[in-house]
Amino acid sequence: MNDEFVFYTINPHKNWDEGAEIQRLLTLCDLDMDEGIETFVVGRQGRRLVACAGLDGDIVKCVATAPDLRGESLSLKLMGEVINLAVEQGHLHLFLFTHPSNVSFFGGCGFYELAEVPGYVTLMENTPVGIKRYSDQLRKLTQPGDKIGCIVMNANPFTFGHQYLVRLAASQCDWLHVFVVREDVSQFSYRDRYALVSAGVAGVPNLTLHHGSEYMVSRATFPDYFFKEKGMVGECCSAIDLILFRKYIAPALGITHRFVGTEPFCKTTRKYNDDMKQWLQVADSSAPAVTVVEVPRTVSSNIAISASEVRRLLRSGDMAKMPALVPRDTLNFLYSNYAT
Amino acid sequence: MKIIKEALAGTLESSDLLVKVTPLPEDRVDVVIQSEVMHQFGEQIRQVVLATLQQLGLISGQVVIEDKGALDCAIRARVQAAILRGAAVDQLDWSKLS
Repeated sequence: MNDEFVFYTINPHKNWDEGAEIQRLLTLCDLDMDEGIETFVVGRQGRRLVACAGLDGDIVKCVATAPDLRGESLSLKLMGEVINLAVEQGHLHLFLFTHPSNVSFFGGCGFYELAEVPGYVTLMENTPVGIKRYSDQLRKLTQPGDKIGCIVMNANPFTFGHQYLVRLAASQCDWLHVFVVREDVSQFSYRDRYALVSAGVAGVPNLTLHHGSEYMVSRATFPDYFFKEKGMVGECCSAIDLILFRKYIAPALGITHRFVGTEPFCKTTRKYNDDMKQWLQVADSSAPAVTVVEVPRTVSSNIAISASEVRRLLRSGDMAKMPALVPRDTLNFLYSNYAT
Repeated sequence: MKIIKEALAGTLESSDLLVKVTPLPEDRVDVVIQSEVMHQFGEQIRQVVLATLQQLGLISGQVVIEDKGALDCAIRARVQAAILRGAAVDQLDWSKLS
């Protein structure tokens, strides 16, 4: 019998037969197929498909091996193949979601635990120094004070609502750290969003504007956020993002308060705000609690100002209401890019 | 020699090791070693790795090693391969590697 394993890469959307085989292996291992994955590494023994692992950008998903072949070198070979494939695609730094019971297995493949929602899910990264080095960099930007605030915003795009929240938070804190979500999957590019935030918060003296990172509201920490248009809201995924924030980011900068606007329109953001109170304040943790301050939205012409409202108006080509919703720099940007 | 791009060498299989190198913003060499035989051979593995880095003249880079019980010669070869890839060296002085 030929017991050599042969590995290769497929796209399950283009190769239906093999996609169905992957689906069967995943079902056998109590896993669901993630439709977003465009690349799978599969391993065969003879004609039988015995192992698979999906790669979605820098996130490893849907890792499965045939139950009767475990305990051999199959899983390590599989993970080695995935890591090599990721490097070919330019991702040396990888993330992986798994059930907490599998943490020690992936530990043997060079993955390290970042955050765990007990009994549900653990996020791991394939470096022992990733989050540590990031926290060390943040620590250099620490500011003195008793009340240190933080806002994490996507600002898609920056509105009067963001500006109001920033100014209010800054006035209540000794120092305010503002992070712009870095993931580039929103309507407005990261570069544009960051530039508009930067212009919009100019003049606030006690503020540091930070680039976001893969450790906050990214596809790795919070995969579902960016699929909110599809109406998918993950129970656990916002928890992972918030646990990471409380465990690493808040202590690095000495953050005591996190500010958010109330969310009248976007369901995902509203859920995130609710989860925030749970995971930053209420839940047990070795890290100190971060107080969540929910600030009611400012209202303009009887509509609460929100970036999703701005995007809705843009889609319908209704520029007339814009000046009431966004500051000058954002307005100029919208006019030069969207007005016809 | 400096690490200027991320690079990888080796595998996670038994008796091998996976070496990952990444650039650091400053002139500093940071080595992190994980091994299945850490308690027994950790110190020796560290010495082999550090001697190899010194031989190559590495002055800047992050080196992460996942060891699966590799022999010294395998450790040397994998570390050399990862460093030379990460430092984008294509002209090799083989005598330096012996």
